Amino acid sequence: MALAVARKDLRGELRGRELLPALAQFVVLALIIANFAFDLDLVSGPRLSPGILWLVLVFAGLVAFGRAFATEKESGSLEAMLLTPAGPASIFAGKALASAALLVACEAVLLPSMAVFLGSPISVAVVATVLLATGGMATLGCLFAALAAQTRARELLLPVLALPIWVPFVVVGGRAVQAAMTGQSLAALPLSGQPLVILADFDILFLVVASLAARFVLDD
Amino acid sequence: MTENRRLYVLTAVALGGMLVAAGMIFLYAPQDALQGPVQRIFYLHVSSAIAAYACFALVVAGGVAYLWKGSLRSDRLARAAAAVGLVFTTNAFVMGMIWAKPIWNWDPSKTWDARVTSTAVLWVVYAGYLLVRRFATPGRQAMRLAAVVGIVGFADVPIVHFSVQWWRTLHPGRVIDAPGGPALPPEMLLAFMVTMLAVLLLAGTLVAVRYRIEARRDALEERAVAAQLKLAASPGSR
Repeated sequence: MALAVARKDLRGELRGRELLPALAQFVVLALIIANFAFDLDLVSGPRLSPGILWLVLVFAGLVAFGRAFATEKESGSLEAMLLTPAGPASIFAGKALASAALLVACEAVLLPSMAVFLGSPISVAVVATVLLATGGMATLGCLFAALAAQTRARELLLPVLALPIWVPFVVVGGRAVQAAMTGQSLAALPLSGQPLVILADFDILFLVVASLAARFVLDD
Repeated sequence: MTENRRLYVLTAVALGGMLVAAGMIFLYAPQDALQGPVQRIFYLHVSSAIAAYACFALVVAGGVAYLWKGSLRSDRLARAAAAVGLVFTTNAFVMGMIWAKPIWNWDPSKTWDARVTSTAVLWVVYAGYLLVRRFATPGRQAMRLAAVVGIVGFADVPIVHFSVQWWRTLHPGRVIDAPGGPALPPEMLLAFMVTMLAVLLLAGTLVAVRYRIEARRDALEERAVAAQLKLAASPGSR
């Protein structure tokens, strides 16, 4: 069921091509702004690029997740979807899956552009960290997007609700990317040792929390 | 005794408790040898933080009860506790800043430690909670959505805490519940206990007052709806 919902969303995006080009442009523009705002050079570029990566990712995520439920709300099709046998939890999971896929596509633009524009070293560790964080951010982001879509001020509420809840991903992911980009091995980090394992734990934890909560958010 | 009178009595007791706590803090407790008078902030700072956490625990309990049973009272309790919790979080923050100015001297690597970060997240989450209440359609929908935000937000706090702690932290370690007994002289411990009880009583009083206000507001709305229904049902009106 969840897969059917995700397939529907992605098919719509592939046919309409609305969100993805806009997101890709947003990512490139954000990098250009970062380049001038931080006045990047050979020394500061690699040092600041982990921070830039997370800033761009978080805000691109807000846009992507916000649209997932806003489009349904605008065409009034969310009620119709709730009438199908899919059920709130699988609608929610499908939406999260589809918007996670969108954000991954966005990262496929972001990481190479960072390598080109800022000279950031992109390694397997960086990609793995970003992908793991995307999963958890998508689950939580879609939960709050579904919630915010039902209120009068969804564009305003989504960042206010999602950003503080994403802090753990930025804390752990930020540290891991910083280490990976400066050439440290992830295993050398204090305690955490395995930020990837911690991120995966967060993913599972929030997936459980969000799918439990989905019933109360979507059920009207 | 009417409900209002009961609230007056409760308020008076809470105020008296705070005065006693002030006496304990400034007259009874000994001066800290290293930090000097600045250390006296600790009594109110930690108590406020505990009161704030207690309030947010009430929000979670009210939210869970609401989602489970759908009772309006538990939602009203959550609503009242969220506002009071936000006040006490702000209080704990401001006092922490006043303490941190001479002790940590605003070093950003120190100010963003685990406890500060997780409390900041808590503050933002419950500010968002109140915003959801404002922007959602009033009534059942607002209650349902707010309950979800309150519960998920609270669950996030320990995670934020530990993720920063594993990263790096400089907050003073455990003092009261330190392994091997409290690391405080008995006078300080007594002053702290009295202050904590007084602050918890104050927080409880504020929640009770707030609950009363919310109950009145709900009753007012009910009356307005009932009056309109009556008007619509009366003969001669269209």
